[in-house]
Amino acid sequence: MLIEIENLSVTFTAHGRQVRAVENVSLNVKAQESFGLVGESGSGKSTILRAICGLAPISGGSIRINGKPITHNRAFSRQVQMVFQDPYASLHPRHTLDRTLSEPLAIHGLPLTDAAITKALTDVGLPPNFRFRYPHQLSGGQRQRVAIARALMLQPEILLLDEPTSALDASVQAETLNLLSRLRAERGLTFLMVSHDLAVIDHMCDRILVMQHGRAVEELTRDALATAQMKTEYARSLFAASADRMLEG
Amino acid sequence: MSLLSVKNLRVTFDTEAGRVEAVRGVSFDLGRERLGIVGESGSGKTMTGRSVLRLIRPPGKIEADEMTFDGIDLMRASETEMRSLRGPRIAMVMQDPKYSLNPVMKVGAQLTEGLRQRDKLSKPAAYAKAIDALNAVQIRDPARVMEAYPHELSGGMGQRVMIAMMLIPNPDLLIADEPTSALDVTVQAEVLSILDNLVKTRGMGLIFISHDLRLVARFCDRVLVMYKGKVVEELAAKDLMHAKHPYTQGLLNCLPRIGGTRQPLPSLDRDASWAL
Repeated sequence: MLIEIENLSVTFTAHGRQVRAVENVSLNVKAQESFGLVGESGSGKSTILRAICGLAPISGGSIRINGKPITHNRAFSRQVQMVFQDPYASLHPRHTLDRTLSEPLAIHGLPLTDAAITKALTDVGLPPNFRFRYPHQLSGGQRQRVAIARALMLQPEILLLDEPTSALDASVQAETLNLLSRLRAERGLTFLMVSHDLAVIDHMCDRILVMQHGRAVEELTRDALATAQMKTEYARSLFAASADRMLEG
Repeated sequence: MSLLSVKNLRVTFDTEAGRVEAVRGVSFDLGRERLGIVGESGSGKTMTGRSVLRLIRPPGKIEADEMTFDGIDLMRASETEMRSLRGPRIAMVMQDPKYSLNPVMKVGAQLTEGLRQRDKLSKPAAYAKAIDALNAVQIRDPARVMEAYPHELSGGMGQRVMIAMMLIPNPDLLIADEPTSALDVTVQAEVLSILDNLVKTRGMGLIFISHDLRLVARFCDRVLVMYKGKVVEELAAKDLMHAKHPYTQGLLNCLPRIGGTRQPLPSLDRDASWAL
């Protein structure tokens, strides 16, 4: 198993109250697998991704990658990278794409070449002459491509995708999902993906964990989802609410 | 008589780089029904919604042959008249709760502000009404939300707070700009049923702006499909899945489906003639 999460709990303290965002969630992701997390807002699915990256306080349980407990050092960021939901907020507004894409290389002391930046842009389907543009000169879909390119600069094995297409139009969503599928196939990436759209998760993921109120409700394979073989009431209601996303009309 | 009538609406921006036509001759009539406006970003659907409230800042210009709401000529109404319409008669739920709520005011203060100022309610009465409004949009712990700042709420919660705020003065027409795109399917269904209820029981008119075709097909009565500032197709929502225009069909085809193949999704090939 590439990613092993055991009994993970995340607790935030705000105004003296404790908010238990994630409680005792366990999941395993194999190398080169695509694993999906679904659930309503506040169910803790994004918090799990943030906990892996060290952006949320872990109050219990463990996260291991390749059998080793995670430490948030440089080696970790070369292995695991994240793409955030909102491409309008996740890119620095006053950095050119060139600077955004160069920074990971500079931090890690890797050779910084023109070719590396141009290749990063063309790999995600952006023209090389976009290199000195600012984020505000791009559309939402183009920005999300830049966010994906940035995440791939250090050639990680694992991509954490937090609602990567929910801010995008249907046609742009299709292009972005196709891009992610292609990159996964080409580079043998492992995806841990969060989405509230069951159709997107079904299109992208092999296995799915349904979450509610910070707890794991049910794990499903893609086949079980497509044939509606869920065991819990909540997973079924989630599926029923997405009935218009089924194959036939 | 229809609640809102719009004829040949145009929104243009004179910029340094030339004239940008955001909306190019949109006409529609709205009764006490649910009208959906769908299209991609940049298609002019938000601008159409904002024009009804005359909420377009210079250099943006609104022109229309006719724009009347309940007998009031919106093109000729004074700024004072417009202000008395905005909120109590026509309300708009904006797209992004992150930018539409005041970040340095507690949610409770924002919800009760209008009630205290406009309706001159006492503090406890305004508080009680705000709590009711939060309950109506299925917020589980309204007392906590009243004391929270917007950044302490999730996107879905923020969106519901905005809807609650807009519904407090009981408007006749609600313009909802992507009101549920930050919400997940189960909460989305709840919010839609709240809106649906208001249309049915109070006879409110609803303009529902969204990029989600399937949602609009399920929820609205009638749909306008916009592309580059024009309405390319108008149809009954139940017929959306059998749309005739290649743009509408293309938008439907590029959506992933549960149980579908893992083949790359078809992309949308745009035809220059659609924009003419």
